[in-house]
Amino acid sequence: MNVSFEEKSVWIQLVGMVIGLGIYFVIAGQMALSGVREMPAYAAVFMVAVVGMVIFLIIAHILAAIMGKPEQSDERDKLINWRSEHNSAWVAAVGMLAAITCMVFGVENVWTANLLLLSLALSEILGFVLRIVYYRRGV
Amino acid sequence: MSIDKITIENHIRALRFAADELTQQKLAEHVGVSRQTINAIESAKYFPSLEVAFRIARVFDKPIEDVFQCHWKSK
Repeated sequence: MNVSFEEKSVWIQLVGMVIGLGIYFVIAGQMALSGVREMPAYAAVFMVAVVGMVIFLIIAHILAAIMGKPEQSDERDKLINWRSEHNSAWVAAVGMLAAITCMVFGVENVWTANLLLLSLALSEILGFVLRIVYYRRGV
Repeated sequence: MSIDKITIENHIRALRFAADELTQQKLAEHVGVSRQTINAIESAKYFPSLEVAFRIARVFDKPIEDVFQCHWKSK
């Protein structure tokens, strides 16, 4: 299979993040709609999602390493990382500006915090997708 | 004269076969990159740094212009 360990790692992180944070945002959305406004309740769900995601990432990376010998990242991997981060960071920046705007207009902290978290997650996911595109189509 | 478009091509595949059918894996080990990077260079999906280009040329004991060629069209 013509996939480097670095690319497999990107796939694993993409799947882990989409599933882990996807579950969190579905639950958090239901909590918000049902009127939960206490931040610790959301923090507890987030912690469970993150711990689950980390366990998945560790197991999946171990399996990937067993299936194929991991190589050290080289200049192409570094260029792809740099370019994907360069082209995905704007999502987090837009989210931060939106969160600041929410704070200025007195939107509830629960919404502001989740908006910030969502923008960071989407920025990361876009970064992973771009990395896969650059690995497949060239950079 | 302004340069409109540059195309870089390489002869790594031909040089590998001429060098006793050197595999991509072996070339990658000599150069210090992954096999997938050699594959991406061969298929022009990635253009290496000067350092890696010189390392590849050195493996084949050729001047760099025998490995990589640059073609450009002028406006």
